[in-house]
Amino acid sequence: MTLSRARKRKIVDGMALVFAGAATLFGLVWLFWILWTTLQQGIGALSPTLFTQMTPPPGSQGGLLNAFYGSAVMILLAVAIGAPIGLAAGTYLAEHGRYTRLGTVVGFLNDVLLSAPSIVIGLFVYEMVVVSMGHFSGFAGALALAMILLPVIVRTSDEALRLVPDQMREAAFALGIPRWKVTLQILYKAALSAILTGILLGVARIAGETAPLLFTALSNQFWTSSLNEPLANLPVVIFQYAMSPYDEWHELAWAGALMLTLFVLGLNIAVRLIVRRGKR
Amino acid sequence: MDNEAMLATPSLLRFEPNHDAVSETPTQLGIRHLDFFYGRAQALHDVNLEIKANAVTAIIGPSGCGKSTLLRSINRIYELYPEQRAEGEILVDGRNVLDKRYPLSELRRKVGMVFQKPTPFASSIRNNVAFALSYYEKLSKSEIADRVEDALRQAALWDEVKDKLGQSALGLSGGQQQRLCIARTIAVRPEILLLDEATSALDPISTAKIEELIHELRERFTIIIVTHNMQQAARVSQRTAFFHLGELIEFGKTRDIFTNPRVQRTQDYITGRFG
Repeated sequence: MTLSRARKRKIVDGMALVFAGAATLFGLVWLFWILWTTLQQGIGALSPTLFTQMTPPPGSQGGLLNAFYGSAVMILLAVAIGAPIGLAAGTYLAEHGRYTRLGTVVGFLNDVLLSAPSIVIGLFVYEMVVVSMGHFSGFAGALALAMILLPVIVRTSDEALRLVPDQMREAAFALGIPRWKVTLQILYKAALSAILTGILLGVARIAGETAPLLFTALSNQFWTSSLNEPLANLPVVIFQYAMSPYDEWHELAWAGALMLTLFVLGLNIAVRLIVRRGKR
Repeated sequence: MDNEAMLATPSLLRFEPNHDAVSETPTQLGIRHLDFFYGRAQALHDVNLEIKANAVTAIIGPSGCGKSTLLRSINRIYELYPEQRAEGEILVDGRNVLDKRYPLSELRRKVGMVFQKPTPFASSIRNNVAFALSYYEKLSKSEIADRVEDALRQAALWDEVKDKLGQSALGLSGGQQQRLCIARTIAVRPEILLLDEATSALDPISTAKIEELIHELRERFTIIIVTHNMQQAARVSQRTAFFHLGELIEFGKTRDIFTNPRVQRTQDYITGRFG
């Protein structure tokens, strides 16, 4: 009797293991399929001209220089806007508002913003900035990206600071150091790797955002360094070129997709390295 | 007597003869009618205590008796948590430091605190010591270097770290980190040192070093230690206060508390009948 029960358990255990393994495999297959396809299609389209030439008109050769540039500028500007505000708000939540009603409410609202569909944010910026300025612009695109980045950084920096043990705070305050100095010189230092991780993950999040850029930055066939004009950017170029009937454009879209994937992959590896260094 | 027998001997019999010099120094700290609350729960009930200057006062008692709470009242560190509050008076140099008008940075410069767990800041050894120092005083680089050395010497750490002041404090051993925390605290020249179970996370050798240190520091500071180690209280203090369930049960010269307690509960605790 007991033997058959043990056997039964073994069978159930084996079935559960097979099921869990199959489910894992199912998830991984898609990931590697996506990576493989991107790599296969993109690698053939890679060439030095990708980084030296502008997006071409249909039927001719070209590169993605203006799109790389536009994406880089908008991401940097979004970080420049979103990171300081996000860090400040995260600091408020962790250090000042932790035991207050306002802090709880702000934290909740931030979570709402965090899960807001990015197209809604794009629409909002379109209405507020694009319509009132009368034209699409790189600035509007950066603003939309910043608004997506902001709640990510608020949440991650809040959590990074909460991970600093209270003993550290008490030890610093026990020396009589004022709050702002403790925060700037002790808590930020202790939470540095976690805060950086949050910013990098936020960048990875906005790097591939397409919807909010479609009706803010739009895109631009030509080179411009002005943030006051429509600005080329990788996600929208990939979208337009992939949808087009031209083979040259398809190739460029694959190349762009591969570069974007590698960029996000690189960010994730950087995060790993930072976390590992922070643990030491 | 071999070592094992020594360790097994009850604290009552293991009295070391370095407590004879309990001289009458002036009162440094007066605690009057102190009540303490964590939300609605009262953790201290009407505590009255006179702490003498340049002496070591030990606070002993079972877990949850309020001994740490007492220390945390003295430098008002409890104010970090809004649901905690203290009522009554704690007089330092005749002024009530619990009064909200008493400036916190002045209080905490006067009253330094070292915690149970070593808490080095994620910075160099030098910066750990210089950090509070350069906030309180406008000092030149060489003056800071002198004060850092001075503090590290007083904390009996200088010889171990003098060649690596620029290295991260996180690389030090636990015992060294705790002495660094002591150095950092005495660098700003406080009058009172609060040690909250400062050796309970350390190995016996580090503990011995810090106890020795307490002995030396007593000449310059008024020291209050909270400890759950009764032998330690007997070894390092001149006066001992026994707390139980938030009340001060007995307070007197350490020798009297450990050899001839007046209250039954004190005797029960120090002979290990509860705790």
